[in-house]
Amino acid sequence: MNNTANEKVAKAAPKKKRRIASLDKKKARAGYIFVLPFIIGLVAMYLPIIYDSILYSFTNIKHGADGYQLMFVGLENYRNALFVDTTYVQVLTTGIKQLFLDIPCIVIFSLFMAVLLNQKMVGRAAFRAIFFVPVVLSTGLVAKIDAGNELLSYMQNTDEGISTGAQSTGVSEIVSAMDFKYLFSSMKVGKELVDYVIDAINNIYNIVNRSGVQMLIFLAGLQSISPAIYESCEIEGASAWETFWKITFPMISPMILTNAVYTIIDAFTSSTNTVMSYIDQVYGKTDGDVLSSAMAWMYFIIVIAIIAVVAGLLSMYTFYQRRD
Amino acid sequence: MNADASVKTKRKAKNTVKVDFDRTPFWQRMKAKYLTLYFLKRVVWALFRYVLLIGISYVILFPFFAKIASSFMSPEDFVDATVKLIPKYPTFDQYKYIVLENHYLKALLNTTLLSLSCAVLQTFICAIIGYGFAKFKFKGNTLLFALVIFSMVVPHQTLQLAMFMKFRYFDVLGIINLLGGGVFKGLDITGGVKYLNLTNQFTPLILLSLTGFAFKNGLYIFMMRQFYKGVPDELEESAYVDGSGVMRTFFQIIIPLSVPMMITIFLFAFSWQWTDSFYTGLFFTKTDIYMMKSIVAIPKSLDITFAASNLYNAAIRNTCGLMIILPLVILFLFCQRYLIQGIERSGITG
Repeated sequence: MNNTANEKVAKAAPKKKRRIASLDKKKARAGYIFVLPFIIGLVAMYLPIIYDSILYSFTNIKHGADGYQLMFVGLENYRNALFVDTTYVQVLTTGIKQLFLDIPCIVIFSLFMAVLLNQKMVGRAAFRAIFFVPVVLSTGLVAKIDAGNELLSYMQNTDEGISTGAQSTGVSEIVSAMDFKYLFSSMKVGKELVDYVIDAINNIYNIVNRSGVQMLIFLAGLQSISPAIYESCEIEGASAWETFWKITFPMISPMILTNAVYTIIDAFTSSTNTVMSYIDQVYGKTDGDVLSSAMAWMYFIIVIAIIAVVAGLLSMYTFYQRRD
Repeated sequence: MNADASVKTKRKAKNTVKVDFDRTPFWQRMKAKYLTLYFLKRVVWALFRYVLLIGISYVILFPFFAKIASSFMSPEDFVDATVKLIPKYPTFDQYKYIVLENHYLKALLNTTLLSLSCAVLQTFICAIIGYGFAKFKFKGNTLLFALVIFSMVVPHQTLQLAMFMKFRYFDVLGIINLLGGGVFKGLDITGGVKYLNLTNQFTPLILLSLTGFAFKNGLYIFMMRQFYKGVPDELEESAYVDGSGVMRTFFQIIIPLSVPMMITIFLFAFSWQWTDSFYTGLFFTKTDIYMMKSIVAIPKSLDITFAASNLYNAAIRNTCGLMIILPLVILFLFCQRYLIQGIERSGITG
């Protein structure tokens, strides 16, 4: 409607020297102005950086007195990373395996906690604040200090504490793995599953630390579900269990997708990631800078592939409520 | 059931009517209310919930307690096997020597300056960019936004070397090289300067913040965009009808609206820049520029060897960590309300 009217105005006065831009054009121009900083950064810095980074992974750098020189070496860096460097492939496979193991843990845990924190109770605000502490305080430097912290495992050896970030020995595990295995071995659920659950419980500190943002995303999602649906459910006599699986779970499923992707990205870009710290380590070695570029790009491509697969799989089961 | 039978009405005065119910006895009422399966279920669930929440809160907070406790311990406490959480010989030595020998105050000043300037810039720039993406249709909108997401996904480690080289030999699209005579021999305005060395300055981080490419800025742009998508268009339309331009509408109407969201983003930006070690490590190669990263070290006066010195060193490192996050804790205590509100309102949920 608006469009055609404006076009008519524009056509009616074609001979005027100063052309009046249509509203849409004006708005588009304003849009460009708002996004301008991003475009400048993109063209002047980011894309050259990306290009350089890819370029470096195919070259060898010689630092001279006046600038630097690049020597094209083809796929040598990649070949070195995969076949000469002995630890890279190993670190990469364990890192990716760990990533796959962590995703369900974090997503399920954060969903569960979000459901809990969404209920009305005394001290809800305080709990929410506490659960959000790690997002602000346990990042970057502090996370680096925490990684392999002897102090915390020492402090906890007295009371049967939980392994807090540090590599713990058998003494400080929350559940004695032997008891647990014994209990579950008779249930025939599979040794791998039992091991996985025990690992998850002993690793609870890491999981809690890494699921802060996901929890908030779930919380926001839970609050956007219309209470009318729950009310009608209650009137129909559905139990809490049924309500969760028939209402909450489908309604929250888009956020499960979001969170799964966010978890992968977060794990992938965090500084405590084993692959990334190995790449950092390689970067520090002599002539390791180009090698680390090649390694990082390989890792990046693998993780992008993982994100595509996970997102594809999850979106098949995602339920979107039709609005409008 | 039969209301008339149980209700007696007495007429006392002319206009007052007193209704007297046959109330069920107190104990019976209590029994009906509390001795049911429904109530039992609720109590059990509430108990379970609190045990779980308090337990996990303990898991989150215990490391902080442990660190605080150990930060007051002296070397004797680490040898003494009976001392676990409460020090027998409490001292302030660790704090004292970290402040005195690790240049804590210099690092604090530098980091405050850097984090504050970066966070303020990032908050405004991301708000502007997010508004542009949310409210205006222009060619390439979706493509550019896809690039925002892309910049969020690419870890900065991948670009480590390229980023360092970019700012070590800084040049915008070859302009400085051109002016310095790198292309044509005759043209030399800058006197042979073919690049700028921007390392060991705040400039690289400021530049990255100004263009929305600093740490996690993709996330902030995404959050701001989602927030502005939730702001009704009618608001701006009425401003336009009243004769306000796009810029004025943005600064006078939209910005005040988005203050809670901007506080959230400011907090994220500030605290993540504060604890960052990647960028400061990358761009500040000189050792005499003290950032938070460089105070994590064992002070010389405390560097002693004894039976439990590895534990003592770990404790000192943790004390450094505590001192790093101390300003953040204060900030968090004041602003956590906005933080959680902001995220809930942002509708990251889409």
